[in-house]
Amino acid sequence: MRIVCPFCGERELGEFTYLGDAKPVRPEAGASEDEVFDYVYLRDNVAGQTSEYWYHGGGCRAWLKLTRNTLTHEISSVEPAAGVGARQAVK
Amino acid sequence: MSSCAILSSTIRMEGASVADFSWTARSPLEHALVAGTHGARGVEAGVSLTEIRNFDLIQVMARRGQGAELGKAAKARFGVAVPDAPKAVQTSDATLIWSGPDQFFVLSKGGKHAMQTLAPALSGSLSDQSHARALISISGAKARAMLAKLSSIDLHSDAFPVGAAAATSMDHTSVTLWRGGDRPDGQAVFNLLVFATFAESLWHTMLDSAAEYGVATGHSAELA
Ligand SMILES: [Zn+2]
Repeated sequence: MRIVCPFCGERELGEFTYLGDAKPVRPEAGASEDEVFDYVYLRDNVAGQTSEYWYHGGGCRAWLKLTRNTLTHEISSVEPAAGVGARQAVK
Repeated sequence: MSSCAILSSTIRMEGASVADFSWTARSPLEHALVAGTHGARGVEAGVSLTEIRNFDLIQVMARRGQGAELGKAAKARFGVAVPDAPKAVQTSDATLIWSGPDQFFVLSKGGKHAMQTLAPALSGSLSDQSHARALISISGAKARAMLAKLSSIDLHSDAFPVGAAAATSMDHTSVTLWRGGDRPDGQAVFNLLVFATFAESLWHTMLDSAAEYGVATGHSAELA
């Protein structure tokens, strides 16, 4: 598998680290225990399109957000993840 | 900072000196680098590995959302636009090497762009890496063949011309790699910055990879 880093270009998988599912969104303050439990622990095991965070630690050290098909490993989009967390935090 | 520079410091406490110490800055390759020829014998060395010593290296990173301001300040300082893509740009007395989005290295000699002089001129976060990296210059007829064993990057001239740079990994070690100006005989020169603590390991790996071609090793105080 190769990932096309938006900053560095196409690189081998060994330069990247998988962080995890990019889908869960931190619940609002005061959310129910079930919602928080879901956010912290529960993950979908998708056969198909997923969105994921990857880290280009062996390269430019940017965080990336990928759309990847778990059946084919086809990566349909890669974008910088920078700012995603910050936007969620101030919501 | 010169490799033979004596750095000294005095820690003062309540007006009295409690500790005086000094040390000598040394190359991280001091032990590993044995100047001479290695590997295949009876042939002209296909690879030259030269450690460059005594350089000033400052990492400059823009604060969040301030890449444009930093770019403006850097252009005023260096007279050229700083690289905003994987490239190395040569100025009259420094090399600016892209190291990631909104960040770059300033490589120079003789204190012209050392921390004290650069910090007031540039906004952003500056970090002195002069003693934190080793700088290795790789050239020779078989330089690409040797590097191809360690790097997944296409280093053919069409894909990696003079001035191209990459933040990448070699032998599981993060490196900053860029192509300097060609040697007078037209051969390509690849420059590599590696963390000081990984330098010895990568040096041995490159020596092993180059052995079949014959390797000439040495060190120099001149930036390629
Ligand atoms: Zn990258």
